[in-house]
Amino acid sequence: MTYTKPLPQINPDTKDFWEGCRSHLLQIQKCSECEKPRWLSSFMCPYCLSTNTRLFNSSGRGKVYSFVVYHVAYHPSFKDDLPYVVALVDMEEGFRLLTNIIGCAPEEVHCDMEVEISWDDVTKDVSLPKFRPVVRIHP
Amino acid sequence: MLEAGLCNYVLITYGHNARSGDSMKKLLFAMSGDDAIFGHFGATAGYAMAARRAMHEFKTGPQTWKQIAVGQRKWANLNPRAMMYKQTMSDRDYDTAPRVVEPFGLYDNCLISDGGRACIVTTLERARDLRHPPVTLMGLGMDNPSADLTRADYLAGPTGARRAGRQALKMAGITLEDIDACQIYDCFTYTVEITLQDYGFFQPGEGCDWLRGGTIEPGGSMPVNTSGGLLSEAYQMGMTPLTEGVMQLMGRCEERQLGPQTKTRNPEIILCSDNGGILQSHACYILRRV
Ligand SMILES: [Zn+2]
Repeated sequence: MTYTKPLPQINPDTKDFWEGCRSHLLQIQKCSECEKPRWLSSFMCPYCLSTNTRLFNSSGRGKVYSFVVYHVAYHPSFKDDLPYVVALVDMEEGFRLLTNIIGCAPEEVHCDMEVEISWDDVTKDVSLPKFRPVVRIHP
Repeated sequence: MLEAGLCNYVLITYGHNARSGDSMKKLLFAMSGDDAIFGHFGATAGYAMAARRAMHEFKTGPQTWKQIAVGQRKWANLNPRAMMYKQTMSDRDYDTAPRVVEPFGLYDNCLISDGGRACIVTTLERARDLRHPPVTLMGLGMDNPSADLTRADYLAGPTGARRAGRQALKMAGITLEDIDACQIYDCFTYTVEITLQDYGFFQPGEGCDWLRGGTIEPGGSMPVNTSGGLLSEAYQMGMTPLTEGVMQLMGRCEERQLGPQTKTRNPEIILCSDNGGILQSHACYILRRV
């Protein structure tokens, strides 16, 4: 089946990030001057304007900062997913990203909920970093 | 420019066929960029994200926002120019409205409108010779936190309204006690709450109590968005609060005119706000009847 949802507009700034995703690695930029990580990737550090950047692999674990539940499809390709959750997730390493929370009902999602990465291979070239609740196995 | 004599009259104007045309929808869609990959579009969801975080950090939610939506609608019902002039809104209407992007329902959103607004700025000397009584600008403040949502730390306040409000009050040499009414940029109900909260009208989480009993409505002690605002009159960007603030002070608002007929104070000083992006930029200005 053809994937009809919008795909990333990959550019020289974001190429490393999406190539990492393809191999299920959350490769994040970190400024070599002020040491702040950032997402999405950019040529220049938005905090100190340095262009001196390196990449690191994120653990893929974080906490929901905030989230919303869509009941309206602003693009027809999302109609079958309603209601779905879009969230901002604060990652362990100190950056925040926009994503979907999957693997639980929208009403179970809450701010500060612990989540971990769950790759969604949407095409043969594109994998999206989505998140699901951390499952704690109690003895 | 006016003071320097470079010009005599400045026209501030706005017009948009946002409802009958598709340019507003295209603009909001284009703004989404790569957020669209995750099904994240437009302004409603951005403000809903802020509002949800606010619900987590202090006591707020639909019970607070309902009082804003319903209260402003009562003003619109007195304004024949308002899109919602003939449509009343009850608490039940608000509660049962379709969910759009939770925590927002339909009536937490502003309107999309066709229309135009204009306002003329000149020197007080020239204004005194014109047909309508002059209104002066007492104070002005701006603050633009302006970070991308993934770096924003002001979504649940303090927003730019905190510093902009303080600057404007300081320049005007007054306190909140001196304000007779507010015209707040109300793209969403939550925007009104967080703006009034950051200006200092109430402490975080006390909005629900402050609003109770019709504080902002006709007959209330602090009328807010007396045309119906962006939520219930028309979306004309920051021109909706500006023109309403000016016209109220000129005494040109007919049935909704502040004063004895709406059981409110005769307005002498009105505080107005404007806001851009997802709470990324803020302006506060204070108008006075001369
Ligand atoms: Zn830096």
